[in-house]
Amino acid sequence: MVTLTINGKVVRAEEGEMLLAVIKRQGIDIPALCQHDAVEPYGACRLCMVEITKESWNGWKNHVTSCLYPVEQDLIVNTHSETVQELRRTILDLMLARNPETPLIQQLAADHGVTRTTYEPVPEPNDCILCGICTRICDTMGFHAISSVNRGHGKEIAPPLHQPPPDCVGCLACALNCPTNFIKFTDNGRERVIWDKKFDLIICEKTGQPGITREFADYLIEHRDIPAEYFKVNDESHRKELAATMGAISQWGQEKES
Amino acid sequence: MNHRLIVSPLLCIGCRTCELACSFAHAVNGKPARSRIDVKDGGKKDLYVPVVCLHCEDPACAKSCLVNAITRNPETGSMDLDQDKCVKCMACVSACPFGCSLFDSQHDLVVKCDLCQGDPACAKFCPTKALVYRPIQVALRSAG
Repeated sequence: MVTLTINGKVVRAEEGEMLLAVIKRQGIDIPALCQHDAVEPYGACRLCMVEITKESWNGWKNHVTSCLYPVEQDLIVNTHSETVQELRRTILDLMLARNPETPLIQQLAADHGVTRTTYEPVPEPNDCILCGICTRICDTMGFHAISSVNRGHGKEIAPPLHQPPPDCVGCLACALNCPTNFIKFTDNGRERVIWDKKFDLIICEKTGQPGITREFADYLIEHRDIPAEYFKVNDESHRKELAATMGAISQWGQEKES
Repeated sequence: MNHRLIVSPLLCIGCRTCELACSFAHAVNGKPARSRIDVKDGGKKDLYVPVVCLHCEDPACAKSCLVNAITRNPETGSMDLDQDKCVKCMACVSACPFGCSLFDSQHDLVVKCDLCQGDPACAKFCPTKALVYRPIQVALRSAG
């Protein structure tokens, strides 16, 4: 355990924990757009920047991204100092130039007092904030279907060669965890299309309800040792089967008596 | 302290108080959540079976979770789902052979029984003791 001070309050944290997790546990609200508990910290959005110092630093201060900074003994953290707020405003100013029409960025910028960007907005803006949550989740899950391509102002998230990605299984984790809902997909209950790749959904043999994609189930059967018959019916039918089995077992002693 | 829920279908009267208790115990921002326990027809008149997570020894939900969001809680012995880690890929919902990982469409969350962190609301509210929370040794003995 280490002891540190956050906004004047002494708190305890586990060794190796990142500052952002400790700050959030204290109920302090600081913006963080590229943070997701399923993946390693990345430090892309820079909004979780905080001011740190120590008694022994003789008044020197540093600004660090709290999502990437492990807690240290006797650290003194200020999450809302004037310089930190100024840094956040500058970052949001830049983000507003890149994503001027994204509601999440507009709202966050307005909350920090930035209503319009002082930079020249990009000519053809989109909603992607390049937080990398989609690619990192895809990598963590073991598919590596999409990645960031190009650098600088041309950077974007895309499948290899902008073709339907061969490794994608259509789990939708990238789209459902995108903070700005930029990744688009269609799902009509029989067929799903994401990254221009078409998937067939497993249809429950009993209820006719759609489940996950055939490709995703095949991956789980092959790599995670899940028996193939588990995927034949949906969760509702599984519960009905269990209830019928348990109901039958509960009757065993009863039949003997009558 | 490993405890388990003992489900006795013969005592269940199908009142679904357990479902209500579960919904309120896991409410999100004051809104009732989807119940983790589901009272189903037992295949005979007036026979009901409350279906709830069995916290398996070799759980398909945890095996299918590609981001390791489902882990065993060392204190209660239950398989707990970390909502902040979950990426909503629905692997566990499809893989559970008992259908006890559920999707709560109202709150857009995957949910499963966590034994209320060692104090299950369903067992507390069951009027006929069809659901009781007992140490695992007692649970095994009552199962024969």
